[in-house]
Amino acid sequence: MDKRKSLLDAYLERGFTRRSFLKGCVALTSLMGLSTDMLSKVVEAAETKPLPVVIWIHGHECTGCDESFIRSAAPLASDLVLTNIALEYDHLLSAACGAPFEAHLDETIQKYNGQYILAVEGAVTTKESGIYCMSGGHTFTHLLNKAAKGAAAIIAYGSCAAYGGIQAANPNPTGSAGIGNFVGGKPVVNVPGCPPIPEVMTGVVMHVALFGTIPPLDGDGRPKQFYGNRIHDTCYRRPFFDAGMFADNYDDKGSKAGWCLYKLGCRGPETYNSCGNLRWWQGMSYPIQSGAACIGCSNRNFWDEAPLSDRLPKYGKLGDADKIGVGLGVLTAAGVGAHAVASLIQRNQRDNLLEEEEHRD
Amino acid sequence: MQSVKEIKRKEYYIFSPFLRIFHWIMVVAILILFGTGLLITKPMFVASAEPYLTVTSVDLVRDIHFVAAFIFCAAFILRIYGFIINKGDRLFPRVWEGHFYEETVDVALHYMLLKPHHASFLRNPLARMSYAALYVLVAIEILTGFAMYFMTDPTGIGAALFGWVNTILGTEMMTHYVHHYVAWFIILFAIGHLYMVVRAEFMEGESEVSSMFSGKKILAHTPKDANELD
Repeated sequence: MDKRKSLLDAYLERGFTRRSFLKGCVALTSLMGLSTDMLSKVVEAAETKPLPVVIWIHGHECTGCDESFIRSAAPLASDLVLTNIALEYDHLLSAACGAPFEAHLDETIQKYNGQYILAVEGAVTTKESGIYCMSGGHTFTHLLNKAAKGAAAIIAYGSCAAYGGIQAANPNPTGSAGIGNFVGGKPVVNVPGCPPIPEVMTGVVMHVALFGTIPPLDGDGRPKQFYGNRIHDTCYRRPFFDAGMFADNYDDKGSKAGWCLYKLGCRGPETYNSCGNLRWWQGMSYPIQSGAACIGCSNRNFWDEAPLSDRLPKYGKLGDADKIGVGLGVLTAAGVGAHAVASLIQRNQRDNLLEEEEHRD
Repeated sequence: MQSVKEIKRKEYYIFSPFLRIFHWIMVVAILILFGTGLLITKPMFVASAEPYLTVTSVDLVRDIHFVAAFIFCAAFILRIYGFIINKGDRLFPRVWEGHFYEETVDVALHYMLLKPHHASFLRNPLARMSYAALYVLVAIEILTGFAMYFMTDPTGIGAALFGWVNTILGTEMMTHYVHHYVAWFIILFAIGHLYMVVRAEFMEGESEVSSMFSGKKILAHTPKDANELD
């Protein structure tokens, strides 16, 4: 590989006109969540920047993020992988395997040192020196360390890579954790979700690819353009919440009428994601639209906040905090009542004693 | 029992009007905040002809909750001003003074009904500790409350000021839980507080209740902490 192709080169090579290239850039601009003012910058980058080399590795996970990724419609995942980026190494999508495949990884890391984008799916396993997740004869931690050293940017795809994921749920037998602390202090773009929205996955990698910088991040390392709002604040069912119209059960009138799922434990008010505005499968639907309460899959520790079907945790037969609170309130009232009676008795005894003393004097 | 007694008492001016006004704002605010808070967690549904006519509009309940919360927070200005200008308003437990602990034990023994009396105080050490605890609870409510409220705009200044609360607690859902649970502890405090005040009134008759209106206590014995007013 000598001169690396730009996106424009890749378009022209395939017989597209410059006109359709520009159309593609317009689509890309809006997909990345950017204002149309940025179009000229996108075009410039697509004309001049060489296609970014991407190394995509998988840790402790279910590869569901890839299932989501390959369903990206705009840009099509196939376009992205085959045309828009130079995907050199991918555990799941590569046809090659075995020793030559691993050798190619080392080659890529050396050749593009400091230039490639490292995309990581899946958590790091920390217990027993990381043996719970092995790749190419080494622990995943080893692979991550090796690949992170020369990366220009690191993207953590999915809640596992960002925060540890389901396997980090209590009691976390494998010691799973997000990759953030295992990449030698390099900044990580967190793209949480179980899985993340396909267009969010492609949008983030395209942003890094075209601008060579990571997108603006919030305090939790998530791209602001995709994780800047609560689902609750972008939910089309929000008016029902405000009006106080709720589904109390999954088979009641409110549920059938499509009212707010807040009482069924919907985590929309605590979850930052683009489900409410981008939606899934080319804007077809998202969990709440399909009638299921949000479980907050892009939140840290969401897996340990059971029950996902209620606003407050329940403590066995004691019930939830409100029930316990009422119980404690009644107990306290009864307690002070009893104390009041005892105090009155005590006061009368005290007064009698005082009176006796007075008489004696 | 005699119906008319002649007892010599002294009047102590303790609470400034600022503290008293703050206190009653706090009472009303806590009741409103607690009621609306429960309704926000578990909204009622009352069907009506049109959605916008529902009296249980969560939107309205939330607005009342937020307005009450802002008024409560603003009222702390009164409390702080009173604290500055009036010595009687300084109610913190004097844990740095050795006698504080003996006095606490003395009062506690009386409350456990093991001693017929406790020494006379303007503000007794156990009460002071419970107020300090209440302020801690209220501070938790304020921090978690704003941490949830301002995160509608995670890039805004409010989120910058209070977002760290969510980070410390791990998740925003945890912030909701903490806010909800601590609210119950405040109510338990309120029940205990109400009882203790009324009890002090019927046990000692030293105008404990009216002091929060008049600012004065009328004591028959010289209180141990009288020097704090000098």
